[in-house]
Amino acid sequence: MSNVPTIDRASRWKAIRTEVGRAVGALAIALAVAFVVVLLTSKSPFEALNVLLTQIPARPRTIGLWLDDVAKLTITGLAFSLVFQARQFSMGVQGQVYVGGLAATWVALSPLGTTWAAIPLGMAAAMLAGAIWGFIPGIAKAKLGANEIVSSLMLNYIAIELCNYLVRAVLPKPQAGVLTTNDFPDTAVIPQLIKFDGLNITRLDYGFVFAIVAVIVVWFALYRTSWGLKLRLVGHNPRFAEYSGIKSTFIMVSAMTAAGALGGLLGSMFVQGQGYGKLTVLFEGNLAFEGILVAIVARSRPLAVPVVALFYGYLRQGAQLMNIRTDVPAEVIGVVTAIIILLVSSSFSINFIKRLFRRHAAPAATATVPAGSAAK
Amino acid sequence: MALLEAIGIGKTYPGGVVANDGVNLVIQPGEVHAVVGENGAGKSTLMKILFGLEQPNAGTLLLDGKSVHFAGPREAIEAGIGMVFQHFSLVPSFTVYENVVMGSEPRAGIRLDRRKAIAEVQALSDRFRLKVDPLPPVRSLPVGQQQRVEILKSLYRNARILILDEPTAVLAPQEVQELFVAIRSLVAQGKTVIFIAHKLPEVLEISDRITVMRQGKTVGSVKTSDVTEQSLAAMMVGREVSLRVDRKPTDQSQRVASVKGLRVVNARGTEVVAGLDLNVHAGEIVGLVGVEGNGQAETLEAIAGLRSIAGGEIEIASQSATGLSVLERRGLGLASIPEDRIAEGLATGASVAENLVATRLNDTRYVRNGLLDLKAIKANAQKLIERFSIRVGGPGYAVGTLSGGNMQKVVVARELSEQPKLLLVNQPTRGVDLGATQFIWRTITDARDAGTAVLLSSADLSELLALSDRLLVFYRGKIVAAFVNSPDLTPETLGTYMLGLSTQTPAEMQVALK
Repeated sequence: MSNVPTIDRASRWKAIRTEVGRAVGALAIALAVAFVVVLLTSKSPFEALNVLLTQIPARPRTIGLWLDDVAKLTITGLAFSLVFQARQFSMGVQGQVYVGGLAATWVALSPLGTTWAAIPLGMAAAMLAGAIWGFIPGIAKAKLGANEIVSSLMLNYIAIELCNYLVRAVLPKPQAGVLTTNDFPDTAVIPQLIKFDGLNITRLDYGFVFAIVAVIVVWFALYRTSWGLKLRLVGHNPRFAEYSGIKSTFIMVSAMTAAGALGGLLGSMFVQGQGYGKLTVLFEGNLAFEGILVAIVARSRPLAVPVVALFYGYLRQGAQLMNIRTDVPAEVIGVVTAIIILLVSSSFSINFIKRLFRRHAAPAATATVPAGSAAK
Repeated sequence: MALLEAIGIGKTYPGGVVANDGVNLVIQPGEVHAVVGENGAGKSTLMKILFGLEQPNAGTLLLDGKSVHFAGPREAIEAGIGMVFQHFSLVPSFTVYENVVMGSEPRAGIRLDRRKAIAEVQALSDRFRLKVDPLPPVRSLPVGQQQRVEILKSLYRNARILILDEPTAVLAPQEVQELFVAIRSLVAQGKTVIFIAHKLPEVLEISDRITVMRQGKTVGSVKTSDVTEQSLAAMMVGREVSLRVDRKPTDQSQRVASVKGLRVVNARGTEVVAGLDLNVHAGEIVGLVGVEGNGQAETLEAIAGLRSIAGGEIEIASQSATGLSVLERRGLGLASIPEDRIAEGLATGASVAENLVATRLNDTRYVRNGLLDLKAIKANAQKLIERFSIRVGGPGYAVGTLSGGNMQKVVVARELSEQPKLLLVNQPTRGVDLGATQFIWRTITDARDAGTAVLLSSADLSELLALSDRLLVFYRGKIVAAFVNSPDLTPETLGTYMLGLSTQTPAEMQVALK
């Protein structure tokens, strides 16, 4: 029995290698396809590709933009991972981001906004609001059997329009007609993480640290607490969980609520972050939904989420640069993400591709391979 | 000349599982050829290859002496091979004749010629003595008749060779006899039947030749008249096996659980358990006999707290358990081995260690202040892996990577690691090989000998007769007969009650109801 842990570790490393191989393979295929698309549509395809892949490290500003995206993608990726591990398909992170942003704004623009408590309170209020927004589809599913995909998507629209209305009609703004609120007081804005003297200000702030903390917290909750084990068992097999005496409805609702809190936190990281420091309409720019991609590629593993976010964030920022500096629109990156999702979620593997080619090459040959060779 | 011949068939699944390795099979025209072997011996894979569902990596198939290759079932069907699976592929809401002709319907213009279809199905059913009414929807038929519809489907497509995959697994003894009559009539009219089976007495009764498989290889092919049950079992397992278990005399005076007037209504509103009374005592195994779907499974689920009840009382360890949760019932000493280990008894994606503590997440040995004690969980897993000799690389391996028998051992290990007061067991050895069956029988009897009260439900009458102290026969949610087990009790006797052909009077049952 003494060698069991080593076997364990070896098998885990093997699993990690396979998964990483799959992800990298998917990325390579997706980039190749994207390159073909760029080649066909662009006047200077190589320059476009160069901007996409190499221009981010060139300037501190773009590095900052990239890492800021990574932090945010990590949080939304974690939120989706949490519900996916419980096999719930709640799509509500976007709505949670908006209600979280609203709650943080409410704190920031209140008298408390000028005190030291503005940031922690804003975050807490945002998490609470997000948690409620996550709880609603959960409880609706548990009590009424409402499909969580539908109800969470509907709640997204409610949150977006609510935010829209409040910004336009209710919240104080610098001048009539603009679609933002007043700037938050400095005390309510999350400080920059690194300051470059004299250089262009980078957007990277302490949200990055929150993201790292969130990764550890979610990992710990999932793999070191009984709640996490119950959650994963419910995700693996709800009937088994029920049979074991686990209250799967409670687990389901609590997973969606916890994910909601993460969504809310992301909302506060947006509006209280260096990027905004105020509330505007449609501030999250569809980033929340990209957590689905991050979670799928990371196989809902919290420790893999930031790694995937790092790569995906790079592509995302690279695409923005490509959009600005060349004739290729950022939407090309949609091709890349679509292909990655397709490949990763369809349990594609190197063997699968090999089989595909073999079948096409020699349909009848398989049956007449000499006996004995199959056992090897 | 052989009708169908498989030479040196090899099949390795992606992932490296070698299911067939140099398998040979020779089928003579007009014979009933049984293929036997433990689970995982490669029987199903071989049949899927014969039926074109799987492509072999090696070897050749000869039909009428000519090499053939089936890219899919359609080609196999065209060549005259039909297959009836364990899980039927029928459309429940369609009528019998619609199911039979579906895909190759007789037409009148563009419309289905119903009259002709019905007549053809009727004629086929008469000719092969597969009695079934063509008109009712398949949904309303008992399993035995659904199976006939499946056979008719193959015959309608002019199958010369019929592959039956464990056809008797779902049937009551009388239905098995009727199936055998049909098989004999098929053979008499020139058809050839390949029969996959687990149960050796049936194999010996119906087959002409037997091919034995073990671990993906053919061990040998013998004439049925030359072998006995014992020698066949030894060929299958590779060593002598004992299919008996010895039970110690136990003190059975103390009542552990009782059910009074239990009523269970299913989702469709049908009463599946209709006013049931039963008691079970320490140190006894009570066998719940019945064709599947007569309320045995629902009764066990109701006692376990997994199914809400419409009426009645459940008592465990002299406490009312009617309103208690699953965990509270487990706290009273209840353990349960569910019917379908993959669907209900395990989380196959989770690790062995996690599966082994899943029912004890309120136990301070493994969870304190909501935190998992990973060391204790792992130690528990290692201890149980050793004690129940589960073949696995380590506690961290996913349960899904284990073989069926070892998966079942994980369930058994979890439920029996601490002596339960009441053990509910449903189909403990379905799809489990002989070696593991022996082990599981031993474990259940050991628990009984140590004073556990056991309620055992099984579709396998020989299992019930081998293990039970008392037997209760279920029919339509009621107990229609009760027996104290004795060597004189035969499957046939039980069968007449299982099919509702006769019912004991309350006075007759009284002796065995306790």
